[in-house]
Amino acid sequence: MDTRIRSFIDTLLKRAVEEGFVESEVYFESDASTAVQALEGKIIQFESSDASGLSFRGLYNGQMGYAYTEDISDDMIPFLLSQAKDNCKVLEVKEKITVYEGDKEYPEFNGFNEELAKIGYQEMADAALALEKETLAYDKRIESVDDCFVAYSSGTLLIINSKGMVCESQDNSLDVYVGCRAKEGEDVQTAGKSWSFSSLGDLNISKCAETVGKKVIGKLGAHSIPSEKTSVILDRFAARSLLGAFAGAFSAEAMQKGLSRLAGRVGEKIANDNITLIDEGMIDKSQFCIPFDSEGVSAKRTVLIDKGVFTSALHNRKTALVEGKESTGNGFRGGAKGSLGISNTNFHFENGSLSFDDLLKKMNNGILITALHGLHAGVNAISGDFSLMTEGFLVKDGKITEPVNQITIADNFFDVLLKIEELADDVDYFAFDGAHIQSPSLLIPNVSIAGE
Amino acid sequence: MLSTASMERILTAALSHGGDFSEIYIERTKVSSVSLLNGVVESTGSSIDCGIGIRILEGDKCVYVYSNDLYNEEKLIRMAKNASASLSEVPGGRTVYLQPSISYLSQPCQISPSSVAKSEKVIKLKQAGETAKAYSSLISQTSAACADTEKEIWIANSDGLNVKDKRCRSRLIVQAIATDGNDKQTGYFGPGSGEGYEFTEKYDLDEKAREAARIASTMIKAKPCPSGKMPVVLGNAFGGVIFHEACGHALEATAVGIHSSYFTDKKGTAIASPIVTAYDDARIKKEWGSYDVDDEGTPSTTNLLIKDGILNSYLIDKIGSRRMGEPSTGCSRRQNYAFAPTSRMSNTFIAAGKSTPEEIIADTEYGLYAANMGGGSVDTATGEFNFSVNEAYIIRNGKICEPVKGATLIGKGNEVLMNIDRVGNDLKLSQGVCGSVSGNIPVDVGQPTIRVSEITVGGQA
Repeated sequence: MDTRIRSFIDTLLKRAVEEGFVESEVYFESDASTAVQALEGKIIQFESSDASGLSFRGLYNGQMGYAYTEDISDDMIPFLLSQAKDNCKVLEVKEKITVYEGDKEYPEFNGFNEELAKIGYQEMADAALALEKETLAYDKRIESVDDCFVAYSSGTLLIINSKGMVCESQDNSLDVYVGCRAKEGEDVQTAGKSWSFSSLGDLNISKCAETVGKKVIGKLGAHSIPSEKTSVILDRFAARSLLGAFAGAFSAEAMQKGLSRLAGRVGEKIANDNITLIDEGMIDKSQFCIPFDSEGVSAKRTVLIDKGVFTSALHNRKTALVEGKESTGNGFRGGAKGSLGISNTNFHFENGSLSFDDLLKKMNNGILITALHGLHAGVNAISGDFSLMTEGFLVKDGKITEPVNQITIADNFFDVLLKIEELADDVDYFAFDGAHIQSPSLLIPNVSIAGE
Repeated sequence: MLSTASMERILTAALSHGGDFSEIYIERTKVSSVSLLNGVVESTGSSIDCGIGIRILEGDKCVYVYSNDLYNEEKLIRMAKNASASLSEVPGGRTVYLQPSISYLSQPCQISPSSVAKSEKVIKLKQAGETAKAYSSLISQTSAACADTEKEIWIANSDGLNVKDKRCRSRLIVQAIATDGNDKQTGYFGPGSGEGYEFTEKYDLDEKAREAARIASTMIKAKPCPSGKMPVVLGNAFGGVIFHEACGHALEATAVGIHSSYFTDKKGTAIASPIVTAYDDARIKKEWGSYDVDDEGTPSTTNLLIKDGILNSYLIDKIGSRRMGEPSTGCSRRQNYAFAPTSRMSNTFIAAGKSTPEEIIADTEYGLYAANMGGGSVDTATGEFNFSVNEAYIIRNGKICEPVKGATLIGKGNEVLMNIDRVGNDLKLSQGVCGSVSGNIPVDVGQPTIRVSEITVGGQA
């Protein structure tokens, strides 16, 4: 940690006491990144950054007020303290909020790979150029690789408070994105995919190129189909987007504010017997381990749905206190600038027993959905209703046949939970997908598809 | 802030090896926000964002570095040199001298939002929440919020350009949620302006609170929307989001400059029905999406995108200009210093036509009336778009009939533009936030009431 930053924090916490804050906390985040973009055999964009932000929160008048700055100079201490205090004066939060004294022990985790940190511009540029070239070479119908990025980033997080808690973590990763465009006659299709690696050795350029190449070529010739009610399989990518769009329904904050249909329903059956939903901060070998949340509560494992029965919500310390429970370690901020809310860590439906191919056979006839679009707009996160543009393939006699697009899928998430007929066994935390939310492929009967 | 001499040294360092153009963008932004849930002040925020972005171009290649350590000139010079060295290992370059600075005032504010106590803002927000709640017993929750931004920027480049600008924006948000059993429906408005607290002070938020409550309590009683292809009448104001997504993004040099857009090489040809004329106009005074000078220091323009159905102009930034061989249209924008700027929209709208909205409805035998749109997205290579509809009704025999919920519109941008067969005379703008490669930026969308002869409507029924 930069000594200038550390001394700024120490002074800030000391001045906070003098200003009458009963408790106070500093949340400091610092990120550095380097990214290259390849286009038409050249590196057309190179980006490099080094940025940090510091958030102060303090308890005054029984309220927790926040203020944030990216300008970390001593002149900003009066700004942070006066703004946080002014904010306390207008806040009317009824629940008691305090800063945490910290846990005795935290899970061991080092998210920072020293080897990966040595990666230089040339290696990244070579990787991006090779990725573009191999993607283009996959099939001559691939006209262009419009987006081909390789990025390295590292981050440091430090939470220090007046109760003596000090939580610090460091991580780094190598992120890759490739998006391409294929053309056959007048038909244009696009496909893209991102990956996140914690070690350079895991990056397999040919495999990445092949995955995206195969994806885009498979979409050529896609057409709409007449509207119908039919069985669908959401593959693991589509299934996790759907789960992600409604993950907020499991937040105790949403329940306490009357913004979740799950409020007051612990102990009730809310899903089919084959459904178990888990949130766990530390997943063995996963690059996404999160040893503590933004309040400094150590990682937990929470079973949210146990064989169809709703067993627990996700809590931070504030919502847990309201219900006389312990925090589930899900108190997170959306970055240093955000105030404390609730979000999931590694969140997933447990695997079913069928292989993906057997799931196709089980459905026999229907649609395999491979992507859901417009998730930021086409879902009613509270009621569970969704109507989304989608694409995929027709499945006939258990086999994937022609591609379909220009269709929508509509249903209700809470109804879907109850009617998921079968789950595949393909959850994969180690596929370098860069996603905290995972699901196996899901077979769902009687879903509305709209098309021609 | 960095002195002119410091900026000259950084710009010079940025050309020390490779690069034919260097640019600095420095920003200091104050943001203040308050938000209420059910009349209770639940969260407040105060923040200062500040940082510097250094960009180097060599042809259409771009190097971008940023930091918020504005106090360390030595470090910034080192970053600039390293960035330049990523373009070429051979030392070269030239010394940059800046012209005297030109000050713009894109969005002057009469009352600085940061000078107004939050308690004063809270009074207005509480009132709006109460109004929404009182509208109907179906309203179970309300929320109201305000957010103000005061942004100061400095742009300097190796051509000697030296520009300052101040931008002040204010936004109000009101939302009402209606409940009926397990169903919840939301009505929402987020009016904004390129003004200071004077906007917040004079704005009739109560009227929008009633509107939000009306939408939520109407939609909670609505049946699921039918699916299939049908004529769709799109209401004015935020209905323009369809043009923004389905056409605007595909006219940006970001896509056209690399030939990935379906509108590449279409200038001078018909891309829309002949009754469609559309603009991107950053020069509308005090508007949310307006600015006098863009984030590359180029003065903004009133850009006629489509005239009587014929593609007239693209949205072009500096790199796009180099790729396309056409001048910049003053549309280069970014969320903040952490993003390299690129071609973006400002206030984008379909111009008013001749029909009255009543005539358009009366002339429709059967279809969907999408009175208020939600968000959406588009793939600029294939033209495929999707939007959600927040308030919709079935049109039957020329009359607006029962409300329907959960509608999604999908289609291809190029087809929809051609299928616009009525354009109303009730043009109105509406404010939103557009997310793309250079981050989230304030934009206006807009249109009069229009009719599209056929769109695929997705619904649960």
